[in-house]
Amino acid sequence: MADEKKRPDSKSTVVKKLESTRTAGAYQKQWFFDMKARVEREGCDFAILNADVPMEIFRAMDIPFVVNQWWSAICGAKRMTKKYFGLMQENGYRADLNSYDAQALAESFDPDDKKFDADGNPLGPWGGLPKPTICITRLTGDVQSKIFGALAENYGADLYLIENTVARKTPLNWYELTADRWEEIYDKDRLDIAVEELKELIRWLEMKTGKMFDINKLQEVMDLINQQEEYYKKIRDLIATCHPVPVTVVDTINAVMQAQWQRGTKWAVQHAKGLYEEIKALVDKGEAAVPNEKLRMMWLGRGMWQDFAFYQRFEQKYGAVFMWSMYLAMGADAYIRYDHGGDPLRALAARFIGMEDFLHMPPLNSSWFIQQAKMNDIDGVVYMIPDNDIQAVEGSYFIKKNMEAQGIPLLPFHADPVNPKKWNPETMTALVEEFIENRVIPAHEARKAAEKAE
Amino acid sequence: MSIRTCALESKAFQKLKDVYENRDAVAQSWRSEGRKVLGELGSDVPDELVMAAGMLPVHIYADQDRPLTETDKYLEFAFDPMVRAQFEKIVDGTYAKQIDYLSISNSTDVVIRIFLYLREIKRVEPEKPVPPICFIDWLFTNHRLHQTRNEFIIDLFWKQLESWAGRQITDEQVRAAAKVCNENRQALRDMAALRHGESPRISGSEALVIIGAGLFMEKEEHTALVKQVTEDAANWPVLSGPRVFYTGANQEDLDLYTLIEDAGMVIVGEDTDWGDRYYDRDFNMEYPVIRAVVDRYMLREYSAKKATTPQRVGALEREVSTCGAEGVIFYTNQYDEVATWDMPKQRKMLEERGIKHTTFGRMLWPVGKNEDLGEKLAAFAAEMKGGNQ
Repeated sequence: MADEKKRPDSKSTVVKKLESTRTAGAYQKQWFFDMKARVEREGCDFAILNADVPMEIFRAMDIPFVVNQWWSAICGAKRMTKKYFGLMQENGYRADLNSYDAQALAESFDPDDKKFDADGNPLGPWGGLPKPTICITRLTGDVQSKIFGALAENYGADLYLIENTVARKTPLNWYELTADRWEEIYDKDRLDIAVEELKELIRWLEMKTGKMFDINKLQEVMDLINQQEEYYKKIRDLIATCHPVPVTVVDTINAVMQAQWQRGTKWAVQHAKGLYEEIKALVDKGEAAVPNEKLRMMWLGRGMWQDFAFYQRFEQKYGAVFMWSMYLAMGADAYIRYDHGGDPLRALAARFIGMEDFLHMPPLNSSWFIQQAKMNDIDGVVYMIPDNDIQAVEGSYFIKKNMEAQGIPLLPFHADPVNPKKWNPETMTALVEEFIENRVIPAHEARKAAEKAE
Repeated sequence: MSIRTCALESKAFQKLKDVYENRDAVAQSWRSEGRKVLGELGSDVPDELVMAAGMLPVHIYADQDRPLTETDKYLEFAFDPMVRAQFEKIVDGTYAKQIDYLSISNSTDVVIRIFLYLREIKRVEPEKPVPPICFIDWLFTNHRLHQTRNEFIIDLFWKQLESWAGRQITDEQVRAAAKVCNENRQALRDMAALRHGESPRISGSEALVIIGAGLFMEKEEHTALVKQVTEDAANWPVLSGPRVFYTGANQEDLDLYTLIEDAGMVIVGEDTDWGDRYYDRDFNMEYPVIRAVVDRYMLREYSAKKATTPQRVGALEREVSTCGAEGVIFYTNQYDEVATWDMPKQRKMLEERGIKHTTFGRMLWPVGKNEDLGEKLAAFAAEMKGGNQ
């Protein structure tokens, strides 16, 4: 691997390459401490939002917030999962359910969250969340209102629920429509009610916080997000055309996701720009993430937060490079909404109601995955299916069938992205090695032979 | 205990039991006469509209002995096992021979995904014998915005039914069907009164048969039979034993109730869609019809799947109080675990009221797979009896 660097303070064996990944990690930590200090200093409202809640409204209203799933990833990285399982059980909850969504809830039970050990180190992740006054989720799953309701009750915060509707219209080429023709993606009534939901949320937030919503601020936020996501599109397109690729998912997942949670800020635009320029420079210098790249691998499903090094275990032995994950590609294809001076609220509605559909609803997800696999010359797909979360169930049969109909082998496996108890690195490595040897390499060689024959 | 001789001696009960045990018979008879049958998956398909379209509504149910050959191909294991078994019959062609149309309401996440999968199967594997489908995208959050949206959604369902029926459905036809449904619900409420209080005369198993038969037959006939059973049951012996309320997984058969009753407990109520929740809340005849449909299905007692924990705590408190239950049995199947999120607070509420409870989680389906369940229920019954001394 070119330019291998390992952070000296890291407990992980994962090798990260990009400066942008490191700066994003450093920024998010500093951002969190600054935000926490502000909440404590000003005594202002602070919100926990589920990932699919339109955070743009909060950005425009300058209401501090964290995203539940981002915080889950931080808790996982801080090795809190085992302790949190225990806390859930002590409080009468099942510890094995929806662990990815329930980390903040578990934290809310922790009496040590804000305490320090004998050496002065905080016991809670980054010293714990500030006390939220607002908890908001969308009802994209039956458990969402339960988890956020319990969270709100534990903190004495207000719970706000945003409804979810099911698409009747399912354009297979949605990824070609998102930026400019987003009205065509959705049933009109569905978009209409999403706009009404936003208006009600805004009114509720105005009442709750005493702050007035400004549509011009939202326009600024939306413009900044479009700029940010345009860089992701350029990055995704650039990586797709590179053989070998300059970076792997180990760099792009964190670099993109950490900035994605900051979307709508100037920092996020600058970071995305810097990420693009850094990767472009690598390409211009002819650098490769894995110089002996032979196989291009796609990762489907949530990031393997507890074991990022997993992605790199197949590079030396097989030249197999995990070069695609949804995190960068969603930025490229799912977020951009140009409203051409129209209604930023409607453009925002057209962003947030689609996210679940694009990722978890057949046929929208499988049609996009296939388009992406082709665009990125993918040789094999590894697909993580969570066992304990119906919300993450997304038609794996159709994804596998459609992918393999295109001659691209797919390995489905079951795991939990934050639960180490359900993750055995040795078993999983062996499973993927077997998949590469018996499915991916033969399919790759057959494809190459066919190309030669042409 | 379960189904007693006194019940079996009731001709009305016998007839209901016959329908309950031979669930496809009435639908088969309808179809043989050229009439249409609509299968309902999810608990919120408005019977009133289906009946107004001249169709027989029947519930989709699982066959616990059938191998899940098709299901294992299409569905992940995160699906409720009973719904997986229901899916098998939809995809393997069984229901193609028994129903003309399938309507799916978004009563729970799992069922929504079943709809998405069936829609995709119809698109990419059109040769599969899946009946025509209509999805009803209810919103269950109790706000005016969502009520208005539901009226739009029900109007879509109305139009789909008209298309399937090949004729218009008039307000008068819906009102007439609603009157039949309301009478049916009232008859069931009168029956349920004989389960409640300190002198229950109808067992949980008997009630499941009485209620469940209505999911597979014409409402008018069902109402008449329920009224007759209620009259008969007024003279049935009072059941003795600790009175418990059941909350959790839907029970499409009598296996679990039989075990509970064999352990010596009396089930005086439940919050399931095959039990008491089926006949909660009437269609308001004073309202415009679509609003009345929305009112009935959107605002009835909170289900475990589509309500917040405080709402579910309140619902259980009301239900236990109405039934006069002395204990509560929580029971959830593996992968059907939404209700477990409510339980810590529900248990706390019960404990504050001195009501005993027991919890069975991660249960296998069908019930017979849980080898030591009978012993555990017996232990809870003993605890209940001890508490009564």
